[in-house]
Amino acid sequence: MRDVQVRLTLNGEERRIRAPAHRTLLQVLRDDLGMTDVKEGCGEGVCGTCTVLLDGEPVSSCLVLIGRIDGRDVVTLRGLAEGGRVHPLQVAFATHGAAQCGFCTPGMILTAYAFLRDHPRPTREEIRRAIAGNLCRCTGYTKIVDAIAAAGRDGGGIRDAG
Amino acid sequence: MPGEARSAPSGDGMRGRGGRSGRRSPVTVPARPLRVVGRPITRHDAWDKVQARTLYGADWHMPGMLHGAVLRSPYPAARIRHIDTSAARLLPGVAAVLTARDVPRNTLWTDVPGQTTAVGPLRARLHVLADEVVRYQGEPVALVAAETPELAQEALELIRVEYEPTPGVFDPEEALRPGAPPVHPEGNLLARWRIRCGDVEEGLREADVVVEQTYRCQVVDHAYLEPEAGVAWVDADGVLTIRVSTQVIEHYRDVAEVLGLPHNKVRVIGAYVGGGFGGKEDVTVEAFLGLLAWRTRRPVRMVWSRQESLLARPKRHPFVMRYRTGARRDGTLVAQQVELLADSGAYAYLSALVLMYAAVTAAGPYRVPHVEVTARVAYTNNPPTSAMRGFGAMQVVWGYESQIDQVARRLGLDPVEVRARNALHKGDALPVGQRLETHVAVSEALERAWAALGPRRAPSGPHRRVGRGVACNLQPYGRIVWLHDWASAWVGYEMDGTVVVRTGVPDVGGGQASSLCQIAAEVLGVDPERVSVHIADSALTPLAGTTTATRQLYMSGNAVLEAARQLRQQVLPVAAALLEASPAQVDLEGGDAVAPDGRRVALARVMQECARLGVPRSALGVYRAPAGDPVEFERGGGRVFPDYTFGAHAAEVEVDTETGAVSVLRYVACHDVGRAINPQSVEGQIQGGAVMGLGYALLEEVVLDRGTNLTTSLASYLIPTAEDVPDVEPVILESGDGQGPFGARGIGEPPIGPPAAAVANAIEDAVGVRITELPMTPERVARALGLLG
Amino acid sequence: MPAVPFDYEAPRTLQEAVELLGAWGEEAKPLAGGQSLVPLLTLRLVRPRVVVDLAGLDELKGVVREDGMVRIGALVRHRSLERGEGPLRLCPVLQEAASLVGNVRVRTLGTLGGSLAHADPAAELPAAVRALDGEIVVRGREGERTVPASAFFTGVLATALRPGELVTAVRVPVLGERTGWAVEEFSRRAGDFAIVASVALVQLDPLGRIAGARVALAGVGPTPQRVESVEAALRGERAAVETVREVVAACPLEIDPESDIHASAAYRRHLARVLTVRALGRALLRAGRSHREEDP
Repeated sequence: MRDVQVRLTLNGEERRIRAPAHRTLLQVLRDDLGMTDVKEGCGEGVCGTCTVLLDGEPVSSCLVLIGRIDGRDVVTLRGLAEGGRVHPLQVAFATHGAAQCGFCTPGMILTAYAFLRDHPRPTREEIRRAIAGNLCRCTGYTKIVDAIAAAGRDGGGIRDAG
Repeated sequence: MPGEARSAPSGDGMRGRGGRSGRRSPVTVPARPLRVVGRPITRHDAWDKVQARTLYGADWHMPGMLHGAVLRSPYPAARIRHIDTSAARLLPGVAAVLTARDVPRNTLWTDVPGQTTAVGPLRARLHVLADEVVRYQGEPVALVAAETPELAQEALELIRVEYEPTPGVFDPEEALRPGAPPVHPEGNLLARWRIRCGDVEEGLREADVVVEQTYRCQVVDHAYLEPEAGVAWVDADGVLTIRVSTQVIEHYRDVAEVLGLPHNKVRVIGAYVGGGFGGKEDVTVEAFLGLLAWRTRRPVRMVWSRQESLLARPKRHPFVMRYRTGARRDGTLVAQQVELLADSGAYAYLSALVLMYAAVTAAGPYRVPHVEVTARVAYTNNPPTSAMRGFGAMQVVWGYESQIDQVARRLGLDPVEVRARNALHKGDALPVGQRLETHVAVSEALERAWAALGPRRAPSGPHRRVGRGVACNLQPYGRIVWLHDWASAWVGYEMDGTVVVRTGVPDVGGGQASSLCQIAAEVLGVDPERVSVHIADSALTPLAGTTTATRQLYMSGNAVLEAARQLRQQVLPVAAALLEASPAQVDLEGGDAVAPDGRRVALARVMQECARLGVPRSALGVYRAPAGDPVEFERGGGRVFPDYTFGAHAAEVEVDTETGAVSVLRYVACHDVGRAINPQSVEGQIQGGAVMGLGYALLEEVVLDRGTNLTTSLASYLIPTAEDVPDVEPVILESGDGQGPFGARGIGEPPIGPPAAAVANAIEDAVGVRITELPMTPERVARALGLLG
Repeated sequence: MPAVPFDYEAPRTLQEAVELLGAWGEEAKPLAGGQSLVPLLTLRLVRPRVVVDLAGLDELKGVVREDGMVRIGALVRHRSLERGEGPLRLCPVLQEAASLVGNVRVRTLGTLGGSLAHADPAAELPAAVRALDGEIVVRGREGERTVPASAFFTGVLATALRPGELVTAVRVPVLGERTGWAVEEFSRRAGDFAIVASVALVQLDPLGRIAGARVALAGVGPTPQRVESVEAALRGERAAVETVREVVAACPLEIDPESDIHASAAYRRHLARVLTVRALGRALLRAGRSHREEDP
């Protein structure tokens, strides 16, 4: 078949999508669903700006064909904030200066979110390893590590969200 | 008046601030302490960015939008015999297919200042679309616009181009030899600069030691995370509107020229940029979008792929630098003779200026009585090179900081002391003849950076050695004075006392917009949250010039300061009357006008009164940078740049003596920023620049094989990840002696200069070998260590 | 970029998948983790008529202990290998190798079978399976067959898979007593493909001497290379790092690497020695520990 029909949960909402099978999740999210909170930085799964949580785990949405998504759960950055409130990680990134141009930020925050959920109170080394797959060209990473370390220390509701 | 009194300009006024949480001790006796400027407040755009509310160039959708794409040459040098677009045009869903003949004026010109026709063309030509010849792999040849991205790609594949490959030249030295294939009819030498001061041969003869070395540095890419992108449409008034990720909204003029339209019928809106670093300084998608939107009369979006961007966008100039440095036994420098040769690639772009920046700073931040710099840049059939953070003044740091370290070693002297001994001071002149009129913080920065390294680490295991190195630099901020730079900004109070700032500044992520917010808030007595900033619209915001050359805080910061001061002067008398006090005694604070006895009246009330009295509630500020005429470099020269930022970095590295791998254990970066308008932003610039410099030092290289780019993927073009670099400790010095608002100096570019040399010096300290070619890959270090036989 | 459009099939059983791949032959591509195939599709470098998505094949996701071997379904993710879930705790070599693959996102989706079928000469898992003398179970329309690792990798990005065949499982031995292992990788950045990687296994005899050793290298040739000269020279030797160093220095490593933009042939040869010594050293330490644990 050329087109696929998938049912997925996107940021907590059930959606039905029909799309050409050759499209990736990233292309469908951005072009068909207008979700600009996922970015395209390289199209090869290297830069991390297209990161989404697929069944809770970070994946490169540019490397997932849309047909694969049937019955799955997808979370983008907008899905982190509940009821319009900002997630503690987002607060930490903003207040620690961890976002400069901001293009890597959505992918970086989602990656940090999944990591802190599984590894509360990490060392700075562990944080660096966890985000090694998310490229940033502006900050030099120090303030990103500061923000994630702070969010890890303060705990703050990361365990229960999404 | 807030912030007018400043710290004493020389050493005794100098205070520093270190680390991430640095508390700032005021060093001045101000009229009153600053309330907003100098505070590390969270930037307004940061809140948008962490919620992904920011709409970048590719995030804009319009009804009926077409998708544009570019056909590029696979050959680095070829004649175009024939282009057949018929099959592409016939594909259903293709709205336009354009080649050079469809472009009303297919040539963009770059001015090459300070050159005479004897050296190279005064005006360098750049084609929008290749006409009869392609000169680099990736050069744009045709454009398509189609209903879907799939159709656009399909259409590209249906365009038949008949190329006749021609011999190319891929090395600047070869390009300058007689008989080399000419990249342009006028010859391959694009520009040349010569600076002379004293008598360098005499100086070298006098020297007790002469260090002679050739350094090579590589082509690198900006590799911003956001690829080039934009959307264009023709609006209801017939104005061609281009919303684009750019550092320069003034390119609306270039687009107008290309299309043969009046300038006032083209508008550029600058989206927040996902990283620029000089790569979005030249025209990227604007002309293509303009052509397609104008032809189809429909909105058109163009987003480049990463591979396309890595392939064809202009890059950083590689240099071959030959240095001869002479010094006396006590470490005093007596002579610097420097030869620079850079590769412009296939088109001039900004090469002549990059070369000039390199020439002017090539001797380093040191007093040297005898200097000779000969700099040349040549055309080749490599991808074009143009602006990138540091702009020539960055590459030469590799040269001069490696040199002075070797001078120190040769003489058995301490590398920090030798630098401090020779450092420039306020009042000294650079070899080009420019007198330094502001504080020169080289010595303090060196001391602070070196001290901050702390106790030396022990090696982490067998076959590991630890070493330390320093490097300092100078980087101009503000554009060349001959360009008569200026910036404007409009600042106004709303009736409710909130503030609006309008200025043409593009924001590339360095907090350009939010710093202006802080300045306005400081002067106008409101909370920063009560200031709304509108930027980067060539039709609606007063123009402020480019976000390049570390000029934006300096220029538009001063423009906003100017406008805000004027506005303050306008409203104070009105407020004073309401408070029955004298204007000189009334302050603006927390959204109120405040009398000396503490009585307050809300700004909203003051605005009502202004309206009643017909007192304007807004002001337009224009800041003009010190202007000058072009100087004759070979005849004593003179002022070139408004000012410079000085700094020093220190690195501790560990070398694996079996593999050559270099790990940076500790890194400190210290700069005098004059005044940190937002210390958190300043730290971020320092850290980001230092890490970009570490990438340059150890990892990054655009690998070209006879004009074919072998690194067109982020998997093969290696930028640092979080695991490749340590925390960067920023140390901020505030001399208060800068030309920007509140005594600020620029900080965007300076931190990228020192890392390569600091690391090379640390490697020599660790294992006794001097690496003279970048990047310092493990293999290069292994070879230098003799591990490969 | 958008991929060139293709038909998409999502078979529910292995048999269905095999039928589809057999019927379409060269015009079909199987999709496992997608980390290698999807970029090729979206760069428009590969243009199949049909993509056969294997994600629904639960038969390929199990991990089972079968006598002295562990049978790992082809669709088991790198992340599961890395975490050593269930019987995978018996596969510490694969655990260490998988932890070096790419970044966290690649490991979430990438699969063991996909990695082996892709057969990148610089990849860690093919070298690990080679060092373990593993077996690759393959299924096509003609039926199932087992290919030893020594015969599976045939060239750069080339394997013994015939048109229409799929990797369905990988079988690796459970490590014996007094056995140590290590994976030493050298790459430009953590998470990149290896420039060179060395996978070493060492088994000690009851007296603590080296009973046997295996060394496999990635990045020094078109396929993972076993270094039999080192393996033979180590047999019977003292279990000491110095011994290992001497043996490796004296051995002519029978490898013939090529130069490319990442490293020259000479540097790869040099790294092969250094990493092999380091891998064997760590393997010996582990073997010593397990030796001590078993013989109180």
